[in-house]
Amino acid sequence: MINIEHVSMRFNLGIEKEFSIKQAFVNFLSPKERKKRKKKEEFWALKDVSFNVEKGEVVGLIGSNGAGKSTLLKVVSGVMKPTKGKVTVKGVISPMIELGAGFDGNLTARENIFLNGAILGYSKKFLTEKFDDIVEFSELKDFLDVPVKNFSSGMVAKLAFSIATIVNPEILIVDEILAVGDIKFQEKSKKKMMELIKGGTTVLYVSHSLDSIRDLCTKVVWLDHGEIVEMGKTNKICDDYYKEQLS
Amino acid sequence: MIVKGIYNNFKRYWFLMTQLISRDFKVKYKRSVLGVVWSLLYPILMMTVMAIVFSQMFKFKVEGINYLVYLMTGIIMFNYFSEASHAAMTSVVENFLLINKVYIPKYIFPIAKCMFVGINFLLTLIPWLGVVALSHVGLGEYVCHFNWYYLLLPYVFFCFFLFTVGVGLFLSCVSVFLRDVFYIYGIILTMWNYLTPVFYSIEILPEKLQFLMQFNPLFQFLNTTRLIVVYEQAPSLVTLGILGAIGVVTLLFGAFIFRKNQDKFIYYV
Repeated sequence: MINIEHVSMRFNLGIEKEFSIKQAFVNFLSPKERKKRKKKEEFWALKDVSFNVEKGEVVGLIGSNGAGKSTLLKVVSGVMKPTKGKVTVKGVISPMIELGAGFDGNLTARENIFLNGAILGYSKKFLTEKFDDIVEFSELKDFLDVPVKNFSSGMVAKLAFSIATIVNPEILIVDEILAVGDIKFQEKSKKKMMELIKGGTTVLYVSHSLDSIRDLCTKVVWLDHGEIVEMGKTNKICDDYYKEQLS
Repeated sequence: MIVKGIYNNFKRYWFLMTQLISRDFKVKYKRSVLGVVWSLLYPILMMTVMAIVFSQMFKFKVEGINYLVYLMTGIIMFNYFSEASHAAMTSVVENFLLINKVYIPKYIFPIAKCMFVGINFLLTLIPWLGVVALSHVGLGEYVCHFNWYYLLLPYVFFCFFLFTVGVGLFLSCVSVFLRDVFYIYGIILTMWNYLTPVFYSIEILPEKLQFLMQFNPLFQFLNTTRLIVVYEQAPSLVTLGILGAIGVVTLLFGAFIFRKNQDKFIYYV
């Protein structure tokens, strides 16, 4: 379902400086220096990453902070185009990378459900049908007509989670969002996630919790500094990763 | 093939487009008592002020025609262009947070802004037609008769919309890479306002400038609308063709630049 072929992703760390007058002046005086600096400011977040995800597989991505996990998710979900290589995806993706990214604080919860739903690619018909389910799951029935800017961060997270998980997507991309809201809601949301993941969808799952990875994934990819260190059977990779982290 | 692809894409994201537009409306009139009535009231009040300033204080006049209608046509059309293109310009940068998180076709933001301001523009046509109607009972010195050429107005406005979208796409793309454009364009708009016969007549200009004015696309749109409404004449087929060409070419140009650069936006967040 997901084909990742030799994907590399380059960022330019000096992009903020590039456009000032001062910099333009320096560049003008010494073009050679500019080339050198550009090379130095290059940062490869992903280097030649290739793997396949078959239908129904739950693939976990592990690695330390800055290993390129989130960048990889963004490339797969289409937010970023890879600098080199190719990503082919068959099926509709539901990205749960960041919850509530499309909320407008001035609008009420009711209005935001539709706006955020539209951003996630749901149709009007689907949203009208599922509206009550979303409201019920979020436990925010009494606050439907309150502007979201007056919500606590927990309430915002609850609402966002409820909207994002209402679909039965073909491909689910999850970046550690399980723990939102109070304890009761955390349990509920965990259960919901499990349901989604175990419901036969194809999943790309990023987490730092090895327990949940062992629990859910059929395959694990270990990334470090943008490169694949190892991939394969869940338990083996998790053991290796754990050992390496502690040593 | 390409047309079908564009159509499908549009259909798929149409719901999002309507949501973005209705968001803008809700936010714009939140907490205001009169709400959407302001869309009608604002141009009337604006026009009254301008009319008093230009026709009473500066004694502006265009011989043989209703200056009030002349002025108001210029104001509402120029305002549409300046508001829509400015809002479109900032729309991509404003929505960076979203673009960085979820995949959405980015062209949707400038187009949604042009449509939002466009709906407002259509609302201002109501008081505008009101002023035209009132000319029959003596508002302004001359009467502006309603005529069959009015049926051409939707075409003129549609070309005007395409032109605005083209400019908006271009500006929103450039401003991602160069935020200075925000300030530069503000100045350009002010200049453009005075270089377009919004409140004066082209006839007061020296002949050379009159010729150059033909190359000002805003003048072409304003002039054609006034020809129909104020002068009660039919625009020539050539004129209508020129308007269509301005609209389509500008749109294609803006879309081309936008499309070519949109994958790079993400690095300039």
